Amino acid sequence: MLYDLRRSDARVRWLVTLLLATLGVAYVFGAWMVGMYAGFTPRSVAATYVEPTAMNMPMPADNTMVVEHDVTPADMGREPQHQVDRDLLIQDTHVHVPMYGVIAAVLSVVALGLAIPRWMGFALITLLFAAPWLDFMGMWLTKLVSPHFAVVTLAGGWAMGLGYTIVAALAFWQMWRPERGVRT
Amino acid sequence: MKALILGAAAAALLHITPTVTLVERSDVVSRLLPGADRFTAREIHLSSADERRLHDAAGWTPPDDVITFYLGKRANQVDGVLVFMRVDSPHGPLEVAVGFDKAGAIRGVEVTKATIETKPWIVEALRAGLTDRYRGLASDATPGAATTVKGRVGTMSEYMAELVDRGVAHAGAAYRLFYR
Repeated sequence: MLYDLRRSDARVRWLVTLLLATLGVAYVFGAWMVGMYAGFTPRSVAATYVEPTAMNMPMPADNTMVVEHDVTPADMGREPQHQVDRDLLIQDTHVHVPMYGVIAAVLSVVALGLAIPRWMGFALITLLFAAPWLDFMGMWLTKLVSPHFAVVTLAGGWAMGLGYTIVAALAFWQMWRPERGVRT
Repeated sequence: MKALILGAAAAALLHITPTVTLVERSDVVSRLLPGADRFTAREIHLSSADERRLHDAAGWTPPDDVITFYLGKRANQVDGVLVFMRVDSPHGPLEVAVGFDKAGAIRGVEVTKATIETKPWIVEALRAGLTDRYRGLASDATPGAATTVKGRVGTMSEYMAELVDRGVAHAGAAYRLFYR
């Protein structure tokens, strides 16, 4: 173990607590935002990232096109599906991937201070970094190869939540668990 | 420091508040396309020439150059047409639903969305009977319902009424040029 969160200075434990709480709030709102724009089903994620079809492609400049399809009153009330085109996905990848890397690194540093077996440390760090890779790989594969890869993005999102939950739960427990016979 | 405070005050004044739904679209459908048992969405993807034509006629360009008409059908015959128009303002967007009957006259108008800030102004204009004035109007007529509520509502409600007029005018132009 490089350091032990259980025996670290109270200021370090306080810092880690506030950091994890802040990241937790960010994750909750992140999930909320995903629910609003992309959804949590393979179908809705695929609809968000798939390449535009003839229905929503920009039209040639010289003719107006009319498309008709049957709808229900419920369809009319539905907000149009948010779509991420290739330009926006390039921008999203550029902005999000470095930030996800920093968050994975910070959580990994917290994981290094946990009293867990060495193999579990490796597994946890791998999970923390694999999650954003899966997330963005899924988006790009959905766009470039097949809508079926939307499940990879979903797996990445859930992996991100799982990695954070494991680190936060272990850290909170190990840092603040009252020790028997020890007065704090 | 003064610039900072002024900047913060300007940001607070100019920020757009969240959207609120005044009427669910499904309720609007039952009121403006009554009796319809089948619905079709007709999406008009405008060419640049048609976009210019619409802009010259109504001073307006639809988002993404697409206008969607919802056709209400009864026994496979079109019984009415509904279109949702978004009208932008510095206080946030409004959504106006405009229903046309078989003959092309306005069957009814409803404001379906506003923002938290604009909702009370809209409600005041609606209570003054704003949308009643559109009924029966031809698609090429200039809507002037805002003038009928002038003096009976507050200044901001008068402004909202003008925005609703604008939405109805856009819907009329879209219907006249691309539906008929």
